[in-house]
Amino acid sequence: MSTRALIHVVDDDESLRTALVRLLGAAGFEARGYASTGDFLLQPVPDRPGCMLLDVRLPGPSGLELQAALQRQGVALPVVFLTGHADVASSVRAMKAGAVDFLTKPVERATLLDALQRALALDALQRTARDEGARLRERFATLKPCEREVFDRIVAGKLNKQIADELKLAERTIKLRRAHVMAKLGAGSAAELGRLAERLRNLSDG
Amino acid sequence: MARLGLTPPHPHRPAAGSPARRLARLAVRAGGACVIVGLLAMCAQPATAAGKPRTILVLYSNSRLLPANQEFDRGFRATLLNTPDRQVVLFEEFLGSPRFAGRAYEQTMSRYLLGKYGSGPPAVIVTVSEAALDFVLRNRAGLFPRVPVVHLAVPRPFLRPLAPLPADVVGVPVDYDVAGTIGLALRLHPRARRLVLVTGASAADRVWEARVREETRCFAPRAAREFLAGQPTEVVLKRLRELGHDAVVFTPGYFQDGAGRDFAPREAAAAMAAASAAPVYGPYDTFVGAGVVGGRMPDFEDMGRQAGELAGRLLDGVEPAALRPPKAVPTNWVLDGRQVHRWGIDARAIPGDAVVRFRTPAFWEVYRREALAGAAALMVQAGLIIWLVLERRRRRRAEQSSQEHRLDLARAARFAVAGTLTGAIAHEINQPLGAILSNTDAAELILESGADRCDQLRGILPDIRRDALRASEVIRRLRGLLAMQEVERRPFDLSETAREVEAMLRAEAQRRRVSLYIGPVATSATMVGDRIQIQQVLLNLVLNAMDEVAGLPDGRRRVVVSVERLARGVVIAVRDFGRGIAPEHMAKIFDSFFTTKQGGMGLGLSVAKMLVEAQGGRIWAENGLTEGAVFRVELPASGAKGFRAPGHS
Repeated sequence: MSTRALIHVVDDDESLRTALVRLLGAAGFEARGYASTGDFLLQPVPDRPGCMLLDVRLPGPSGLELQAALQRQGVALPVVFLTGHADVASSVRAMKAGAVDFLTKPVERATLLDALQRALALDALQRTARDEGARLRERFATLKPCEREVFDRIVAGKLNKQIADELKLAERTIKLRRAHVMAKLGAGSAAELGRLAERLRNLSDG
Repeated sequence: MARLGLTPPHPHRPAAGSPARRLARLAVRAGGACVIVGLLAMCAQPATAAGKPRTILVLYSNSRLLPANQEFDRGFRATLLNTPDRQVVLFEEFLGSPRFAGRAYEQTMSRYLLGKYGSGPPAVIVTVSEAALDFVLRNRAGLFPRVPVVHLAVPRPFLRPLAPLPADVVGVPVDYDVAGTIGLALRLHPRARRLVLVTGASAADRVWEARVREETRCFAPRAAREFLAGQPTEVVLKRLRELGHDAVVFTPGYFQDGAGRDFAPREAAAAMAAASAAPVYGPYDTFVGAGVVGGRMPDFEDMGRQAGELAGRLLDGVEPAALRPPKAVPTNWVLDGRQVHRWGIDARAIPGDAVVRFRTPAFWEVYRREALAGAAALMVQAGLIIWLVLERRRRRRAEQSSQEHRLDLARAARFAVAGTLTGAIAHEINQPLGAILSNTDAAELILESGADRCDQLRGILPDIRRDALRASEVIRRLRGLLAMQEVERRPFDLSETAREVEAMLRAEAQRRRVSLYIGPVATSATMVGDRIQIQQVLLNLVLNAMDEVAGLPDGRRRVVVSVERLARGVVIAVRDFGRGIAPEHMAKIFDSFFTTKQGGMGLGLSVAKMLVEAQGGRIWAENGLTEGAVFRVELPASGAKGFRAPGHS
């Protein structure tokens, strides 16, 4: 897996697309051009750091529609919009949908690269978060059912004695299982365990 | 024609009073005859009672065909015979004076008349002019002594010595106004300084000469009198020919000239008038028309009427003494209109009561009605022309203003279209600009990197150039659309225009997610007209079609433009697949400010129609067979009739 960011450029204007790909290449990115949303969707999206530079007006489904479709599919590539004519309605819609920026052609190199950097940073962040979550879920998966019972109750804020009463087990046993849970999930305290639990809930919700 | 042959008093005639005495003697001598005459008269009476026609003998002094006699006869008969129950037989006799005269002739004539009318004597004898009266008075005793006599056309000077006439001899004297006529002549010719007086050589002519000499004496201070008396006609005419404008001629004509030739006075006067270089005047009514200017004179027809009146009343049984005839036959100013004109006589000098004969009626008098109608027609026409000219000017102004208006409206519509297309245009321009910017940025980065990537740079530069041209092309199109231009008529390529429209609308169609298809245009689609306006029409129609299909499912968001070439021109069809035009809207869709769209101005189609018609074309709409509407624009081809030459707007 290459660490070099890949930027997907979707623009129907071939000339502009070529120029953008050329510029991004010169700026040290890897860029791929697509003439339409269809073109983009037909190709597999490699699991690489990257972002999208998306035109609003496109033949067929628009850039905004592509953005929405990708979100539904869980493809978390940050989007920078680049449009020839920025109308308020589409820019608001784009930003609400989580676009990193909404740029107007012709765009200054610095502005463009800055927006792309932010998008890549967001991507990196999302990517990290996604990795951590995955790791957390992996660790969580190693918990035995009896340990999970104890974890749930710790997260619910119960004391060892209360847990022992509920499970009709000895308090010592509970203490031992709590130590195992803490070790498996890599948490140093009950509060940390609570935060982990919250993140896990968020992950399973998202 | 000859004057009436008013035989002047004979030179040998005795002094005043003598004829009366002679008549008296005759009456005594013919005493015996009275019985016969009385019987005759008695014979006549029962005839009257029985209603049998009675006779009137008209005795003329001169020959039969003198026009004066004929005029007299006309007046006489008209008056006498206009009473229907009056049974009258007229007989005319002519003494032939002055040619025939003398005692022996009179006796022969008397015998003749007695022999002819003795068995049925006339009820009334009418004598015309002095010779006849003279004859009857002198021979009455032997002729028809008891028959009343009516005399007419006898000059007053002739009657004076006869007075008093017998009671049964009545008549109306006439005045031949020599002094009046000459006075008028001198008044009508104020520059006349010579008065030429022409008379003849016969005895009667000598009487006239004496009278003229006597009556013109009073004019001597005013004009020098020159007498041409008893001269041969050639001499007279030669003298008259040599006259200048300072002369006026007066003549009563003559019966005989100095060379012994016989004339009717009217003939003589006519010859003189024809030859004379100066205007000729005369005392007789009959001269008027023979070349004489005119004079103060009685009318012979009037005399005939007077005679008819008197004779009629005598026939009706009125006693001669009870007749009380007028004192005189009225005298009139009579002028020949042609001569008045010929001598340039001032109309203001002519007496107001003058009778102007042969007057060339003024145009106004003859063609009064026609002239009025003509003038009216002319005025109407002139009015019409003025109205038309004004109307034309007004219309030209209106056309001018409507043309300006149309330009303004077209321009406003173009701005509106441009406004509609703002997004698309911005996109169109920003696209190449963005590419240029990105390319230059890339080139910069490449150069900064120091790496030897000349091939990459070489690829960038043509792209920059192409995009720059692309941007400028968009601006050119936009300028073309918005430029304030006069309507021009130039050849242009319809296919190129269609391509431009397509280029302009491509982005807009994309934005609205409408598929716009502009069909192939024949390569030879060269038209004459205003390219921008046709472009405008196409833009309006396509934008309208795009509005129509907005909000429809994908498959129906289509607009198809096709161009069909006909012999007379081209038909551009813009088809949409929308809901079509409602039948109740069909008639109004090209009206200004008619719109079915929310926020629509209702100008697009009306402007399109206006522009198409300005190009000499027509536009109409119809619904598609299954869905949508088709707008068709027919434009005349280049060189087709109906197009004015290029350069004329």
